[in-house]
Amino acid sequence: MRWIRSIRASSGRTMAEKRADGRMRLTLLGGFLGSGKTTWLRHQLHAGAFPGAHVIVNEAAETPVDDALLSRAASIEVLAGGCACCEQRAGLVTLLRRLCDLRSRTASGETRLDQVVLETSGLADPSRILDAIRTDPMLVHHIVVGETIVCVDALHGLAQLVAEPLGRRQAEAADRLIVTKLDEADAAGLGRLAATLQALNPGAAVEGAAKGSPMAPPSAAGASPEPLPALDGRTAAPIFPTRLELSDEIDWTAFGVWLSALLHARGDDVMRVKGVVRTPAGRLLLQSVRRSVQAPEVLPPQAEREDDTIVVIGRGYRGEDLRRSLERFAGVRARADISILRAAS
Amino acid sequence: MCSACGFPAAPGHWTETGNASPTDRLRARFRRVQVLKSVLKEFGLAAHDDGLVPDIQIATAFGSITMARDLDEVWCTAERLLGHAVDPLDPRFLGQDDG
Repeated sequence: MRWIRSIRASSGRTMAEKRADGRMRLTLLGGFLGSGKTTWLRHQLHAGAFPGAHVIVNEAAETPVDDALLSRAASIEVLAGGCACCEQRAGLVTLLRRLCDLRSRTASGETRLDQVVLETSGLADPSRILDAIRTDPMLVHHIVVGETIVCVDALHGLAQLVAEPLGRRQAEAADRLIVTKLDEADAAGLGRLAATLQALNPGAAVEGAAKGSPMAPPSAAGASPEPLPALDGRTAAPIFPTRLELSDEIDWTAFGVWLSALLHARGDDVMRVKGVVRTPAGRLLLQSVRRSVQAPEVLPPQAEREDDTIVVIGRGYRGEDLRRSLERFAGVRARADISILRAAS
Repeated sequence: MCSACGFPAAPGHWTETGNASPTDRLRARFRRVQVLKSVLKEFGLAAHDDGLVPDIQIATAFGSITMARDLDEVWCTAERLLGHAVDPLDPRFLGQDDG
């Protein structure tokens, strides 16, 4: 999947460099209850991932436990007594605002906090947390959400995807899916889980882990995805990615009008939009999860990149319709390609 | 923030990120209303943006005007006035072209 890698590479590159727009990077770690989020994060911190990151652990329960396990973090904070996407939403916003405030006061010689990892409770819907940050007038200027990582339990993940709307929403919102507890699961079920995840979120990278240490991800080859019953009374059409190659003289304004209308009307169907578009202000990294669009990041200029390519992941329409609509609605010429997934797998 | 109208209290709409200079921003506003006009005309609505007040004005055929702060509000207003959302995947926008 070259197209996805190239988009990922462009966002990953800016992470390593000093951030161009000076915003703090937030990594969201989600996953269902008991899916192994803390175990995974603990190992990652031990292995040196997220250097210097401030870790925020959100727990739905009143008595926090997870923070005791994460002693390797540079600094850690607990947000207990409610899930950050609903009851503790205000608490999360206050906490993040305080972090931004402290960061702004850091003297120029000292190291500034550049990374925050938020481990959500197992009951959190990542897209609602993204929403809370996006709609806050202060946070939106200080925080950029880098990556949404979602852990999926190899043992119970499939059952959760079938029965729990929340489990499904978490998997759909991910940029990176970590299949945990691989050492305890059997191969047949794993193939099915991998195929189901690919059907749910074709754009996400899938990795494997056992007790936190990385393992080869399960292969979806030869396995058919578990039929997912409709949970909201509608028939669940298959989700597929469409790649739109915009013509050279892209009209960003008209494109924005089109995309905002599309997300408003079809926000439940268009699950993810991702891509890099050239605008008068520079290259913009565009990302949306359902109806919520993150304030786009301006990427440093780079030649020879796959710019002006948007990947739309969703269902309930034809890929070709997107191209036609874009042309009729906004006068933007594009080429639609829906064969990418089949070619890659 | 403008002390008279309270604009912009909220962060800018994501589509506003693509234009850094004031010239680009003004040009983008005129282009935006041009696209909105052609789209909303299909549904009997009109859009105005004179570049002076921050809002986009959405007018019905009967002359009532609603102010919308950004594109999200435009689509919400249109949905309220029309009784359905303006859907870019509506058959009227798909047409039958070269395919």
